[in-house]
Amino acid sequence: MDPVSIGKRLLEVSQPTPSGQGASKLADSFGHALAGAVDSLDQTQRAADDGAMKLAVGDQVELHDVMLAQDRASMSLELAVQVRNKLVEAYQEIMRMQV
Amino acid sequence: MGVFSVLRIAGSALTAQRLRMTVAASNIANAETTNTPTGGPYRRTSVVFSPIQQSPLSVGARTESAAGGVQVHSMIQDQAPPRMVHDPNNPDADPDGNVAYPNVDLVTEMSDMLAASRAYEASVTMINVSKSMAQKALEIGRL
Repeated sequence: MDPVSIGKRLLEVSQPTPSGQGASKLADSFGHALAGAVDSLDQTQRAADDGAMKLAVGDQVELHDVMLAQDRASMSLELAVQVRNKLVEAYQEIMRMQV
Repeated sequence: MGVFSVLRIAGSALTAQRLRMTVAASNIANAETTNTPTGGPYRRTSVVFSPIQQSPLSVGARTESAAGGVQVHSMIQDQAPPRMVHDPNNPDADPDGNVAYPNVDLVTEMSDMLAASRAYEASVTMINVSKSMAQKALEIGRL
């Protein structure tokens, strides 16, 4: 996403809406994005599990393909953990805010 | 152009090199095979690789078509003449008492095996380096 479209997005979000629809829409799209990310994370984990199982029962599967699937799964998980850390950090930052 | 494209490309190289190793093993195993279902001695087999064409890779504003890994294009049989050995007692001997042995050269096969092994190692190194790059990227912003 280029800076211009991000700016447009922000402008849309910051437009005042009568009944706070903007906020709920934003939360909705964020929730969708999060659900999609968790779903794809789950898929990589399943692929890794599948590969390990196939290898264990002696199916025709390449050893390096299984290792690559596990690598993929562990990298995706690390990314998810980092994103979660950032979210928690942001939440705590806001909770600490003096009003 | 995702994070995993290097893994996919290097993975295809690993598969290709493993097949090359398998073919070398088959050549060595059949170095003395004088009888095949198609008739004649076993012939040395070798693999031919070709690139996998991927969807265009965008580099900035330009798009360039890049190879997205390697695949085995075909397996060819060496048409070099067989090695003739005089052995009249062999059931596969011709009327002159000569037996056609495969045109497999052990030295060639061993060097091919080493080359495949090194290429495999290179791809594994590639995967590890790209993984450590991704892990470095995940350290961005971590205190």
